[in-house]
Amino acid sequence: MNTRDLVLIALFAAIVVVLGLIPPITLGFIPVPITAQSMGVMLAGCILGAKRGALAFLLFLLLVAIGLPVLSGGRGGLSVLAGPSGGFILGWVVATFVTGLIAERAVREGQAETRQFVGFFLASVLGGIVVLYAIGMPWISVVTGTPLMAVATGSLAFIPGDLLKAAIATLAARAVFAGYPLLPARA
Amino acid sequence: MLTSLHIEGDSLLHRLPVRAKLIALVTLSILLFLSSSLAVQAIAFVAAAGLYLSVGLPLREALKRVGFVFLTIFFLAAVNLFLLPVLDVATLTLRLMALVLFAAAVTATTTISAFMDEITVLLTPLERLGWLRAADVSLALGLVLRFVPDIFARYQAIREAHRARGLPVRPLTIIGPLIILTLKDADTIAAAIDARGFRRQ
Repeated sequence: MNTRDLVLIALFAAIVVVLGLIPPITLGFIPVPITAQSMGVMLAGCILGAKRGALAFLLFLLLVAIGLPVLSGGRGGLSVLAGPSGGFILGWVVATFVTGLIAERAVREGQAETRQFVGFFLASVLGGIVVLYAIGMPWISVVTGTPLMAVATGSLAFIPGDLLKAAIATLAARAVFAGYPLLPARA
Repeated sequence: MLTSLHIEGDSLLHRLPVRAKLIALVTLSILLFLSSSLAVQAIAFVAAAGLYLSVGLPLREALKRVGFVFLTIFFLAAVNLFLLPVLDVATLTLRLMALVLFAAAVTATTTISAFMDEITVLLTPLERLGWLRAADVSLALGLVLRFVPDIFARYQAIREAHRARGLPVRPLTIIGPLIILTLKDADTIAAAIDARGFRRQ
């Protein structure tokens, strides 16, 4: 890994920390407040690509584990990982990787703008929502004993907010791609 | 801005080496998940709570740290009451609370540098395989701690710029510029690191 990649990974992990300091927004039609930090997975995958994005989140996870209050709301430490939503936090790494894999294949320079939007949105939804829930929900079910179906039903409340996040991440990722492209292209 | 959750003190957990604490945490979670006895979980819960409250955190701070996780545990326990026998719900809830409390106690009694030393040891096998360098991990961690205040100041500047123009402060219009401005520094920072020969390349 060259020094520039190392710096990009560290800077993105720092951006995710800062996203956690931005106050969450509440929207009338969505039951759960939206934290900017939870967009980090989609942003990291779409902007840095699979490998660097996942490493940025691995580094972020390390910050959580060694007891820095870097999660939104000033939370952190091993207790968060031991709690019911630990699966979602550990799942961030895999979700970023998948988001990046899809974005690297779907989006390249010179494409029509609409195609880039579609590519980033697909990557964000599949990686940042589908993969993340596929790890987080069974985890909750295993540690709390709640049947998976009940967890899945309850998680539906988060889906509208997640889709909105995917839309915001898509627009932001496309803006970064136009201004300072970093995403590696893949066939 | 980024103050560690470690707290000064001289309790039993403070004096134990990190490795012992982490092994204890993993062992405890495996044992508690293997046991379905309410009594075992209750004993573990009382012990973990006692341990956590004895590390020297003020009560308010101690409760605040685990409050959010406990809230989700209680919420899921309330859901479980409709779906599972009460005894099972009690067992599951106590087990989870015991683990969270013990984990919080480990975090509160371990310094960041102690964790980092342990991580360096854990990374040695990967380093031998040539996958990564432990020094790179510490360097990346240092960079994060160094740049979080800068990036936060940049976020505030972009927010002020929005206000000055009478624009609503929305994540969408903030995140793009914040990321571009931050990542554009990567080349300069990388050049500075290489010029000082930190990575011996």
